[in-house]
Amino acid sequence: MTSRIVAVLNQKGGVGKTTTTVNLAHALARMGRKVTVIDFDPQCHLAVALGVVSKQQSGIDEVMLGNADFAGQQIPVRDNLNLIVAGPRLQEIEQLSDSASRRGDLLRKALAQGTGDRDLVLIDCPPSSGILVANALFAAEELLVPMTSDYLALQGLSHLMGTIKKFEAALNKKYRLLIVMSRFIPTRRLSRDVLHTVKKYFPAQILATPIRETASLAECPSFGKTVFEYRPGWRSARDFEALADDFLTGRVM
Amino acid sequence: MAEQDESSMIGYDPLAWLHDSPEAENTKSTAVPESRPAPAGAGGVDEEGDASECEDIAARAVEAAQNVVEPDVPVEWDETEADLTDLALQSAPDQGQSAESSGHIALEPVQSIQTVGELHRRLLDMLDSCNKIDIDASAVSQIDTATLQLLLVLKLTAVKQQKEVSIDFPSEKFMEAADLLGLSEMLSVDRAVAGFF
Repeated sequence: MTSRIVAVLNQKGGVGKTTTTVNLAHALARMGRKVTVIDFDPQCHLAVALGVVSKQQSGIDEVMLGNADFAGQQIPVRDNLNLIVAGPRLQEIEQLSDSASRRGDLLRKALAQGTGDRDLVLIDCPPSSGILVANALFAAEELLVPMTSDYLALQGLSHLMGTIKKFEAALNKKYRLLIVMSRFIPTRRLSRDVLHTVKKYFPAQILATPIRETASLAECPSFGKTVFEYRPGWRSARDFEALADDFLTGRVM
Repeated sequence: MAEQDESSMIGYDPLAWLHDSPEAENTKSTAVPESRPAPAGAGGVDEEGDASECEDIAARAVEAAQNVVEPDVPVEWDETEADLTDLALQSAPDQGQSAESSGHIALEPVQSIQTVGELHRRLLDMLDSCNKIDIDASAVSQIDTATLQLLLVLKLTAVKQQKEVSIDFPSEKFMEAADLLGLSEMLSVDRAVAGFF
């Protein structure tokens, strides 16, 4: 069985990568999909948001270094939802003495060993453009780019697209790219203008449901809960439910 | 090209480059989005300023370069130096060239003073015929100051002619050499993808 491997990335910080990964993954799991999320950020925020706080536990680091396999590192965190934590050695990947191309290919090789019965593997990337993001780009076939509706996010998206196009040219592959408008403030004119601009360049690539900015989304990580557990039925939970449906059915703006 | 309409809350559109050259989509690079918008009515002044600053840095870099690495083979300095410094002058200005076009060139594993003349000729041809030049530096295992100097002058010339030069996938050796000479920023080599290919 082949899993959809999706990198959730944007080198800009604060755009909602981890929030999107956690809540979209849980929404998909609640819809019956078997999902594994990989915490690919040495800051370990994804694991914390799912209530896993041990920083010493090994995870994707040892899988990439060849000392563990994908299946063995998964932690069941919710029904249908597994987590692979970052692990303390993830940062060491940057310092390996191998050539950069070898270091960049570690995750792809690790996932190529098999992802079992998983329907989806979501990789929550760090907010950077370094070797870890390169690994995610080598490994993934699909990219999910959360972006906020402000001007600097547009600048960041421009830079990100440059990097993605270079990888596409060099790896001779075309990513399926989807954008999620996150932290969206519908009453703000700038938000609408940014959305209009993004739509112009990415027609049929923006998932139909924008995730609106709410206090509950900001609060739930501190309790180690997803929004479906922290505020079930509230607006943000409904947004992510709709987003998950968009993601599965390909519904776009 | 990057300006939005007046009622928009977005002044400069940083994504405009994505639509600049649809036919060359697969070879577009990050060089474009990093370019700065020119304030309305002040474009010429800004470009002058940028070019002047570039030339200062270039001069310092070239001076540093000449102090760092000496070629280990006899070379025809007169001809080569004349070629390098005259690059901007010899290249025809881009007048009446309306179609967007891009050229691609891959650097050889060993780029030395012995090969720089040929590279110079190819880049000149490309500069005349293309609005954008993509240089693949992934295979470089050895590069000398003459080649880096040529690339630097190419960048400067391109700025003056409002053309784009992008150095893609620089190898680690390329980055080492560019860093050593303090040219990484000037050459706009992208660390995000350095050394992967």
